[in-house]
Amino acid sequence: MADLEKAILILFDESGAVDSELKLKAKEYCDKIKEEPAICRLCIEKLCFSNLVQIQFWCLQTLHDVIRVGYSAISPDERYLIRKSVFSIACFEGLDDHNVRILEGPAFIKNKLAQILVTLIYSEYPLIWWSLFVDFLPHLSKGAAVIDMFCRVLNALDVELISLDYPRTPEEMTVGGRVKDEMRQHCVSQIVRAWYDIISLYRNSDEVLCSSVLESMKRYVSWIDIGLIVNDAFIPLLFELVLVDRLSEPLRCAAAGCLLAVVSKRMDHQTKLSLLQNLRINRVFGLVNKDGDSELISSLAQLLTGYAVEVLECFKRLNSEDAKSISMELLDEVLPSVFYVMQHCELDSTFSIVQFLSCYVATMKSLSPLREKQLLHVGQILEVIRSQIRYNPIYRESLDKLDKTGQEEEDRMVEFRKDLFVLLRTVGRVAPNVTHLFIRNSLASAAESPRERNVEEVEAALSLLYAFGESLSDEAMRTGSGLLSELVPQLLSTTFPCHSNRLVALVYLETITRYLKFVQENAEYIPMVLNAFLDERGMHHPSIYVSRRASYLFMRVVKLLKVKLVPYIEKILQSLQDTVARFTSLNCTSKELTGSEDGSHIFEAIGILIGMEDVPPAKQADYLSSLLTPLCHQVEALLINAKVLTPEETPVKVASIQQIIIAINSLSKGFSERLVTTSRPAIGIMFKQTLDVLLQVLIAFPKIDPLRSKVTSFLHRMVETLGASVFPYLPKALEQLLAESEPKEMVGLLVLLNQLICKFSTLVHSILDEVFPAIAGRILSVIPRDVFPSGPGTNNEEIRELQELQRTFYTFLHVIATHDLSSVFLSPKSREYLHPIMQLLLFTACKHKDITVRKACVQIFIRLIKDWCGRPQTEEMLPGFQSFIIENFATHCCLYSVLEKSFEFRDANTIALFGEIVLAQKVMYEKFGDDFLVHVVSKGLPPAHCPQDMAEQYCQKLQGCDIKALKSFYQSFIENLRVHQNGSLVFR
Amino acid sequence: MALPNQQTVDYPSFKLVIVGDGGTGKTTFVKRHLTGEFEKKYEPTIGVEVHPLDFFTNCGKIRFYCWDTAGQEKFGGLRDGYYIHGQCAIIMFDVTARLTYKNVPTWHRDLCRVCENIPIVLCGNKVDVKNRQVKAKQVTFHRKKNLQYYEISAKSNYNFEKPFLYLARKLAGNTDIHFVESPALAPPEVHIDLAAQQIHEAELAQAANQPLPDDDDDTFE
Repeated sequence: MADLEKAILILFDESGAVDSELKLKAKEYCDKIKEEPAICRLCIEKLCFSNLVQIQFWCLQTLHDVIRVGYSAISPDERYLIRKSVFSIACFEGLDDHNVRILEGPAFIKNKLAQILVTLIYSEYPLIWWSLFVDFLPHLSKGAAVIDMFCRVLNALDVELISLDYPRTPEEMTVGGRVKDEMRQHCVSQIVRAWYDIISLYRNSDEVLCSSVLESMKRYVSWIDIGLIVNDAFIPLLFELVLVDRLSEPLRCAAAGCLLAVVSKRMDHQTKLSLLQNLRINRVFGLVNKDGDSELISSLAQLLTGYAVEVLECFKRLNSEDAKSISMELLDEVLPSVFYVMQHCELDSTFSIVQFLSCYVATMKSLSPLREKQLLHVGQILEVIRSQIRYNPIYRESLDKLDKTGQEEEDRMVEFRKDLFVLLRTVGRVAPNVTHLFIRNSLASAAESPRERNVEEVEAALSLLYAFGESLSDEAMRTGSGLLSELVPQLLSTTFPCHSNRLVALVYLETITRYLKFVQENAEYIPMVLNAFLDERGMHHPSIYVSRRASYLFMRVVKLLKVKLVPYIEKILQSLQDTVARFTSLNCTSKELTGSEDGSHIFEAIGILIGMEDVPPAKQADYLSSLLTPLCHQVEALLINAKVLTPEETPVKVASIQQIIIAINSLSKGFSERLVTTSRPAIGIMFKQTLDVLLQVLIAFPKIDPLRSKVTSFLHRMVETLGASVFPYLPKALEQLLAESEPKEMVGLLVLLNQLICKFSTLVHSILDEVFPAIAGRILSVIPRDVFPSGPGTNNEEIRELQELQRTFYTFLHVIATHDLSSVFLSPKSREYLHPIMQLLLFTACKHKDITVRKACVQIFIRLIKDWCGRPQTEEMLPGFQSFIIENFATHCCLYSVLEKSFEFRDANTIALFGEIVLAQKVMYEKFGDDFLVHVVSKGLPPAHCPQDMAEQYCQKLQGCDIKALKSFYQSFIENLRVHQNGSLVFR
Repeated sequence: MALPNQQTVDYPSFKLVIVGDGGTGKTTFVKRHLTGEFEKKYEPTIGVEVHPLDFFTNCGKIRFYCWDTAGQEKFGGLRDGYYIHGQCAIIMFDVTARLTYKNVPTWHRDLCRVCENIPIVLCGNKVDVKNRQVKAKQVTFHRKKNLQYYEISAKSNYNFEKPFLYLARKLAGNTDIHFVESPALAPPEVHIDLAAQQIHEAELAQAANQPLPDDDDDTFE
């Protein structure tokens, strides 16, 4: 038997001294032993005599497995032996000097032992082993080791079987319920008595033990008779433990934890209220006023919050005058302490306090007008919020420079502020005047605060104003209700001494943008807003983070104020000259410009400003050409010698060109199609000239993906801006974009074509006709004709790009078919692709994993049938198409694919697909008449085991005219057929 | 604590246990650390991979021996036997699979049975995936048990260091510890760039006028 011990030691070796081959052997050996019939006996024996924790652990683990999985196979004798031995070990019974004292070993062994006891409880309590707990109690007098073990058993019972924090099977739930019922009846009161005795006995000698007892007691309060705890003995004891200074912190915390469990116990609200009242919680108030970040303060904070939550709940649920006034009194009593801990202590539990406060304020909504005391509380809550959202000055520099620490702190704060701002807005709704006043005073006192916390005060005060604005109604914004009409102008004219700080400048700009509606109504403040954005508070702020954000926000300002800004255009353009130049100057590298702030916002803003009809035509042309001409010249300069660039030069040039295209693109967004094409064609000519220049980029730098996509974007814009007058440019552009394009680029091209088709329908027929063969040829050569490979290794970027391409291709075909352009498929140049495309569509309509794609394909077929087939055979536009449809589409897609079990009628997308399939049959019948019916009945239905009468019914319904009736008929028809075929046909 | 042929080191080292449902990305996560990946030892017989991951703090180097029990969660191997002598732990779930979060309490319980009172970090992995099922707000388990929670994306290296830094601070009992030098990480396979993503999507939306028209009016009859 020494072999097993050796093997186990090898198995658990962490020293690195054992090679893996030996380990494998050891594992095989141990696994073999596990199969032996006497394994339980063996484990118990080892457990009693081995001092090695590895051996003990392995034995306990194995024993646990056997009981858990194979309990029914264990003989009654053996079960008795297990029960007896495990119990003896757990309570030091019948020991002689040879026995190993597991209880003096490491915690994980004892926990494992406790786990086994719980597994026995699962199977044997109470029917076989009803006396387990009662048997245990007398042994507690043996001292700390047994008491500790008893606590572990109770804890294990909680986590393994009773607590609702863990996922449980229904069976486990039943057993858990049974165990609780049984314990309540037979032993809980004795256990509680034992807890009380142990704590009384050991509180001065073994605080650790007392803490463990309280920790496990805490778990049980929620489901035992509360009278066992809430009485003249236990409650005073718990408070005493919390209050006595010389006791250890863990013990005091554990006692506070038990009190919290008592407070949170579910019960009828009237009973709860008297419990809370009789508790005299104010006993602990004195403790929180001693500052500190101790564990105890944290426990007390949780206790007080939990208490406050329960009182508030009673206030809400109870209707009697008396109960209301008692609970309000209790709340008034506890709230100052809650505020205090929140303001003065670092807490993990801020979250739950904020939740409580939100709840409290929400309750006040029903109480208006608020009493004086409540207004006071509201003020205190605002004070708490302000103190919580304030940054610590030690991070000032990091936050300003936005280094790693600064970024981390900012992220943390943003997350942390979320709930507090929700609370702020709730307060704002309940007590708007108090909130206005508070924010105004905060701003005033922040502005005058000493330098060492000036930045943080100002930032916090501005953030309050900003967050508060989110909940204001349009009406309140516009009229500047309350103090706002005073606050906003004041803010606009302010430059804070700490305005150079990144965070202050940012929140300042965000705030004035948020309150812009007020300025919209009160145009006299517009110059102030413009100043704030154009001077060193905004776009000329020394921090690049601020100036970039300012560009974006300025765009929003322009979008909102629009026409009102016309008088200021000259001034704005002048102050932006340097900013504009910075984005497009040739030496600006892409490194400097990362992410979203690529200057597009500033150009978009300018575009909106100068693109308005209210700008006089001559001025407008001047403005635009002064921007476009230099940009185009720059591009032309960059294109010279493009072919002979060195590898170092190319990326720089490419980046510059990209930058310029982005700028022009954004600029053009401000110009409407009507203005450019109808009222002021001169402007249109300027854009066309620009387009001419930019299309040269594709020739000079072919096959450079970022440039292609930028030019494509610009084409999208020009389609919108220039309308049909963009046509002459398209053939060349499309040809360039199509050349050697990768799947990803091809997607971009298809999207452009889709836009054209949707906007112009048949007007683009000739353009489409020209490019279609090349596109179809290219795409059919790269995408698979059936399914994409699946399984490991196929989920890569390349496959995903192809899937994207495939999907876009179907959209493309769909758009063509639904915009009266199906004749493109039939033109001589495209003819060779017709067959493969039809096969692809048919396959996809039947099998594609995405139901919406299948639906699109069915819709395409419906259109083609309508377009290409007429009633008299002689007029068939495409010979063979009708028979292809009848023989393939009608049966495989409209019948067999629907019969598959995976066709799920409860899925909304599938229902939509089904609707199209029904419609398709209707259309086929209208177009093909009996040809269609005969084929379905004679060829299609028999393999599906369709009885004659059902087939007849099908024909009848199809000939009727109501599509809705047909739909519901066809669904039950299919469901019936699924039953009939009864697995005899292999449909998935 | 080392496994065969692994050098023991003369700077502080800790056994770190990584647990969580299969497929949550535990292995991907530890493999982001390149030197650890290079030195790791696979122990097929006990079904665990141990990766020694070194980090450089302002107080010197430290090493985490990461015990990654990938694929062995339910059967075979030593199961909770691997946790013995664990000094810190990471519990991983997948924010795109709700069940993996539901099982977190069970992992926590099994871990705490063997390792009482060790610092534990809860990690929600795969936050780079657009279609997440477990929102940050829904993650509350760590509050109940006083764990630290981080959202991570193993594939993009997002927050890779955070769990280790937290554990290092807890183990050293020193909140001022920080990493002075980044470990070599495998290059990100995906990038989290929300701003860029939004712009990209806006551009596409503007262009792709009508994808698949959906004009069914009587779908739910």
